[in-house]
Amino acid sequence: MKKNYILLIVLLLVGCIYPNLPFAYLTVGITVLLFSGWATSWNLLGGWAGQLSLGHASFVGLGAYFVALGASQFNLAPWWAILLAMLFAGILALLWGRLTFGLSGPYFSLSTIAIAEIFRLVAINEEWLTGGASGVFIDILPQPFGLDFFSKTTQYYLALFYAFLTIGITIYISGRKIGYQLRAVRDNEEAAMAAGINPLNVKLKAFVISAVLTSIGGGIYGIFLSFIEPHIIFNLLLSIQIALTVIIGGRGTIWGPAVGSLLLVVSGEIFRTTFAQANMLIYGVLILVVILVMPRGIVGEYSHKMIKRKYAKRA
Amino acid sequence: MIDYISLFQNLSNGILIGAVYALIGVGLTLVFGVMRTINFAHGDFVVMGMYLAVALNSAFGWDPYVALIFAVPLGFMLGAFIQKYILGRIIDAQPEAMMLATLGISLVGANTLFLIFGGEPQSVNVSYASSTVKLGDINISIVLLLAGSITFLVIGGLFYILNKTEIGRAIRATAENRIGAEIVGVNTKKIQAIVFGLGMALAFAAGVALIPVLFASPVTTGASFTLKAFVVTVLGGLGNIGAAVAGGLLLGIVEIFGASYLSSAYRDAYGLLAFLIVLLIKPEGLFGKTVKRV
Repeated sequence: MKKNYILLIVLLLVGCIYPNLPFAYLTVGITVLLFSGWATSWNLLGGWAGQLSLGHASFVGLGAYFVALGASQFNLAPWWAILLAMLFAGILALLWGRLTFGLSGPYFSLSTIAIAEIFRLVAINEEWLTGGASGVFIDILPQPFGLDFFSKTTQYYLALFYAFLTIGITIYISGRKIGYQLRAVRDNEEAAMAAGINPLNVKLKAFVISAVLTSIGGGIYGIFLSFIEPHIIFNLLLSIQIALTVIIGGRGTIWGPAVGSLLLVVSGEIFRTTFAQANMLIYGVLILVVILVMPRGIVGEYSHKMIKRKYAKRA
Repeated sequence: MIDYISLFQNLSNGILIGAVYALIGVGLTLVFGVMRTINFAHGDFVVMGMYLAVALNSAFGWDPYVALIFAVPLGFMLGAFIQKYILGRIIDAQPEAMMLATLGISLVGANTLFLIFGGEPQSVNVSYASSTVKLGDINISIVLLLAGSITFLVIGGLFYILNKTEIGRAIRATAENRIGAEIVGVNTKKIQAIVFGLGMALAFAAGVALIPVLFASPVTTGASFTLKAFVVTVLGGLGNIGAAVAGGLLLGIVEIFGASYLSSAYRDAYGLLAFLIVLLIKPEGLFGKTVKRV
């Protein structure tokens, strides 16, 4: 617990120094941080509550669209737009979860794909609302205290704050009652019910927190892209990327999603020129390797080894 | 006054397109029945079949329907290979591990196709692509009719294998109870390889049947086929072949009617909505016999 908080503070300091380093690539840094945040949010539902969602791109898209439409049509500042998006995402997750948590296993994952696809189709076709297939362009943003939201440095610190926030919340939750309830429901729903836990209630909490946090990152992503296209932001591949990042890094761990994002985004950048648009190949190969060789994910296998060593010493 | 001609025209188009959806869905449901896992790579296998037809056409000038003779055995061998060397190793791990592994295979397959063929959509031009047969006042497209006939033949063959042969009996036994089948001497590892091979062969056949009608592009078409296959199988009932056929026909009709009487922009959404409604009200599917929570 305490160790995790200390590590988080140290990483935050490293993150603050990073833009001043001579070899710093800010866009790569922003992408890593945003993915860490999304993956950490996904992990609350997919890792801790064990509900495999393949529709998280819809929350990313919600955040991005709220910011973009707020800026381009309603003259709404991005922070208010993100607050609205959070509210909307939370309500949506509540309804969505109520409808779908009765389904188990592959049925839940399938329904998330279907709902996210419907979102994409609506965003493409309802031109009056979303600007249609051609997308929305953010041309003007307010400048509070002289802060320029179009500058990569500001966006970097926003993304850093976002990643810090999601990981901090995960550490906090992991030590609280809800954290134990989540793990209990994931590992054995019947046993959890026998212990007086309401599984639906616990899963709903996880889904709402996860959705709200993902939409914040979506808003920052909207500012970062400044041009939002429904094909890209509501893409099934984005949902898959988020899910696989966590599974490769380590499901149900605190640092797995961040490690996964660092590994995947950086290797994606390295192979960008080699594979061009086929860069999801890396995700495919890595997920196969992880499933065949280390089913707990990178961080999961490491901490499992540590625990084994600890108890081996005691015996 | 209802326009009966356009009604029957839409109905015939819906049934023919639905037949191809059924062919895609049957492969998915067959694999689900035995492996209890959803094969996320199924749509990409269909696209691989399409590209195989494209490659054979551009290399040797083969008609896509001739390519079937080659595509079906190749699909079977590839599928058996994947099951034996990748999926077979994790079949006793958590149920989600299999699903994620097929997701990995899907990404590797789609992106490999992209590296080989590039991102431009491709198709095979056949001289009879736009010819039609007249049945009274209804026009029936030759290519769709051929695709529908292939579905009919292939599914008929599958029914024969499953119900009249010894291997089919072993497959049904494994689907019903894997441990029980093992106890009475069925080599379930071999059966699983055969089933995954059959699933991939069915996907290849569907891809070849579809190439004169649709363009193939590596990354996007695969995912949309997988989604269609999910919709088909969940509409009918997972793990049941007759139900998948019914689900496929239903999806084809829902899509065509929705597109022509409501709005064509939402063509893909009608199927998804029907899918969500069935999933919520009757998760075992419209024609599923048993309530199996998986």
